[in-house]
Amino acid sequence: MLKNVFLKTLRDQQWSLLYWSIGLIAMAVIMTLFYPSISSMQSINQYLEELPEGMMEMFMGGEIIDYTSPVGYFSTELFSFMVPLLFLIFAIGFGTGAIAGEEEKGTLDFLLANPVPRWRVVVEKFGVMVVSMILLAFVFWAGMAISIAAIDVDLSLLKLAEATLGTMVLGLVFGTFSLWLGCLKGSRGLCLGISGGLAVLTYLLNALGSIVEGLRDYRFLSPFYHFLEPNILKNGIDPFHMLVLVGLVVMFFLASIPTFTRRDIGV
Amino acid sequence: MSMNDNNTILNTSHLTKFYGKQCGIEDINLEVRKGEVFGYLGPNGAGKTTTIRVLLDFIRPTSGIATIFGFNSRLSSVETRRRIGYLPGELSMYGNLTGVELLHYVASLRGGTDLTYATDLAKRMDCDLTRRLKALSHGNRQKIGLIQAFMHRPQLIILDEPTIGLDPLMQQEFYRLISEARTDECTVFLSSHILPEVERVCDRVGIIREGRLVAVETVETLKSRALRRLEIHFARVVPPEDFMSIAGVRDVVVRDSVLSCIVVGSLDTLIKTAARFEVVNIVSHEPSLEEVFLTYYGGSKSNA
Repeated sequence: MLKNVFLKTLRDQQWSLLYWSIGLIAMAVIMTLFYPSISSMQSINQYLEELPEGMMEMFMGGEIIDYTSPVGYFSTELFSFMVPLLFLIFAIGFGTGAIAGEEEKGTLDFLLANPVPRWRVVVEKFGVMVVSMILLAFVFWAGMAISIAAIDVDLSLLKLAEATLGTMVLGLVFGTFSLWLGCLKGSRGLCLGISGGLAVLTYLLNALGSIVEGLRDYRFLSPFYHFLEPNILKNGIDPFHMLVLVGLVVMFFLASIPTFTRRDIGV
Repeated sequence: MSMNDNNTILNTSHLTKFYGKQCGIEDINLEVRKGEVFGYLGPNGAGKTTTIRVLLDFIRPTSGIATIFGFNSRLSSVETRRRIGYLPGELSMYGNLTGVELLHYVASLRGGTDLTYATDLAKRMDCDLTRRLKALSHGNRQKIGLIQAFMHRPQLIILDEPTIGLDPLMQQEFYRLISEARTDECTVFLSSHILPEVERVCDRVGIIREGRLVAVETVETLKSRALRRLEIHFARVVPPEDFMSIAGVRDVVVRDSVLSCIVVGSLDTLIKTAARFEVVNIVSHEPSLEEVFLTYYGGSKSNA
């Protein structure tokens, strides 16, 4: 497990990945177990209908869907906030630690004293981020698949996979952003703060954009817009919006390499 | 100074690095030849680490170039780093790994170094490789740092303040390592702020002060100019005049039966003069680097 930077980094993640997996499975199970009691509460829909239209849009995404249906419940409870939040936290944490974290600990000097080009360090760390996210996405999906099968909820496993994939890519957008920031400036605090701040701002931009007229035209700037607007769990992946998210990941990743190879490493 | 010279391992030409406003190093011209142990001597903050970090391409020079094995250290840094063993000054290694794991990792990154020599070194240094690095004392971590710098038998070893944290016994072992490397035709570049250490292991010494290289001397030259502060305790009061006239002896002060002075170069005449009286004790102080600088290279901040 210590053959190269990729495997070493993956090895360092082993416990973190285990705990995250347990957490994600627990969330999948608990949220699914709640569903039967929600689906029998038709009064919730009445309550939601009484909410102002703007608030409905803000909390439920673009489309008004039956909250008590499986698609309605799971897209609202899981994919509109909780799961993206968790994937974002993991991705930003990893992206921050990849370069800025090693630099602050002082191990980057030690690593780069070996005949390893800087671009390879970035590529291999990015590789670990993608692999870890795929693993977590799969674990979450599998946890959901087993839970909904156990209590016989009518939800497409394919759509569920598509929604999980979308969440993963959304997480990678912010993860690669923080990787790039770390390549730009080797400060963990700065990296974490700006990435987290940007996530909050772009989330609010999308959410408020659905009710505030003046912001509506700028929602496309928010990665959350491209993730939430298509309502993947109901409609499947929308190629255009997905492409935007993947494009952002590729852009930040590619920008990381020259950013990192050009600058001075801090002590 | 020719860069084509096969005997030149490391060469810097007008190497300059500014950090924002504060000056790192300025106009450093160095030449290190094959097989020599070159000491890079200077007080803390003089720019030793900055120079070394430029050589390893961690930071980029503001101007000037460094050439190592004929490669531009900036453009072919992977090639130069392949041939270099490096011990960082502020050693931070992966604390979650054990010594063995760390050495395996470094060996893999270096394309599969054979670990026989590393194991051998660990035995000699009495170094426990089975514990996690974060559980080790500073001195033990330093040993592992040394092992990973030497284990692939590099052609050039760069050591930044290598003996910090090593106990005296380990320092002896370290000096043995250096002399072994010398017989292997390996070139060593080591930084230090301790004059006796540099005198002990090096062939030539570059002296850096406030970012500038003030002199490059052979160790013989340095030793011939050795500066010592001596205190001789006599049984009775001695006449100062006898000592003041000795060549190379300065600042003679006699207080009661204690004579203190500064000696430059040979101690012979002073000792023979002192021997005419009853000597109770001799205390010798190694001069601080600052004293050496003031004596030989003059200057304060303003004209350095």
